[in-house]
Amino acid sequence: MTCSAVDPRELERVRQRVFLALFIALAVALHAVEYLLPSPLPWFRFGLANILSLTALFLYGPRAAWAVTLSRILIGSLLLGTLFAPGFLLSLSGGVLATLLMTGAYRLFRPHIGPVGVSVLGALGHAGGQLLIAWLLIVRHPSLWLMLPLFLLFALISGVINGLAADLLLEFLLQHPAFARLKNSCRLSTERRAERAPRSDLSGGSHKMPARKCAGFPPDNEETGLP
Amino acid sequence: MALAALWQRLTRFDRYLLLALALLVGVSFLLPFGRRPGARVVIAADNRTVFSAPLDEARRFAIAGPLGPTRLEIADGAVRVLDSPCPHKVCIGLGDARRSGDLLACVPNRIVVRVEGEAQGADYDLLSR
Repeated sequence: MTCSAVDPRELERVRQRVFLALFIALAVALHAVEYLLPSPLPWFRFGLANILSLTALFLYGPRAAWAVTLSRILIGSLLLGTLFAPGFLLSLSGGVLATLLMTGAYRLFRPHIGPVGVSVLGALGHAGGQLLIAWLLIVRHPSLWLMLPLFLLFALISGVINGLAADLLLEFLLQHPAFARLKNSCRLSTERRAERAPRSDLSGGSHKMPARKCAGFPPDNEETGLP
Repeated sequence: MALAALWQRLTRFDRYLLLALALLVGVSFLLPFGRRPGARVVIAADNRTVFSAPLDEARRFAIAGPLGPTRLEIADGAVRVLDSPCPHKVCIGLGDARRSGDLLACVPNRIVVRVEGEAQGADYDLLSR
């Protein structure tokens, strides 16, 4: 928004790059924080960094999600000193399978699926991918699969939590004028709830959000962000 | 109320997907991943192996422990404790042991029953899909 005489598409591209860098930075931070948290078993992690991959997926599409996931794993592992250690391979395989499932689901079911559905699929993919690589490369003992059900249950729960967090983050971000152009392309829970409003008035104050958003930033069209 | 507001964030598709995946996870708890039916019963009394028998031959027998004889049965490819002189009868409540690695123990009578080996022609296996 500082430069005035630029092509809006160029501006949009730069803005996307800047936001992706921010997402990656945040994802690396979450990755590191999660590594520092004590956990009962090495693989029981929430995968909080996936919130940022989800956000990138819903804002900028599958390529952005891949960029966030892969950069986060590489940079995060580099920072933590686990790059190319066995744990890194587990992290990478989990991340790749999760992103594969998430982008696949996004492409296939886009108008219907929301961040929570995508997130749960990704979490289960993460768990499955990690266990598969652990079995192929590290322990190769059949009793490893005894952990699978517990592991999947944990992934399911953390997937729901991450999905809700991503949905909240998306709602928050789309209030900002920088994302006004994207608002038309991604149907998010704010709009969904607004649509549902006539039918159920259960969630009282929350559908006031879109209204406030529009009032705050009147130019809700192509010119947004250009002075 | 906060939970209901969060639930509103899911699309209808999300809810069905969540239900299906939860069922899948539930089913995965019931599947015996990577554990095949065992081949032999090995029984230790007071840390010494006192008895070993194949799991596919039905029989009933008794093992002597400090409290008295514990009666066991091998039938249908599983081993179970029929009767034991211990006070709480936990070992009887443990039910059947049929898969490799399963364990029955009667701690008061110091008897440990293990299922070992893998039966030939074992049933399905997750990894062969």
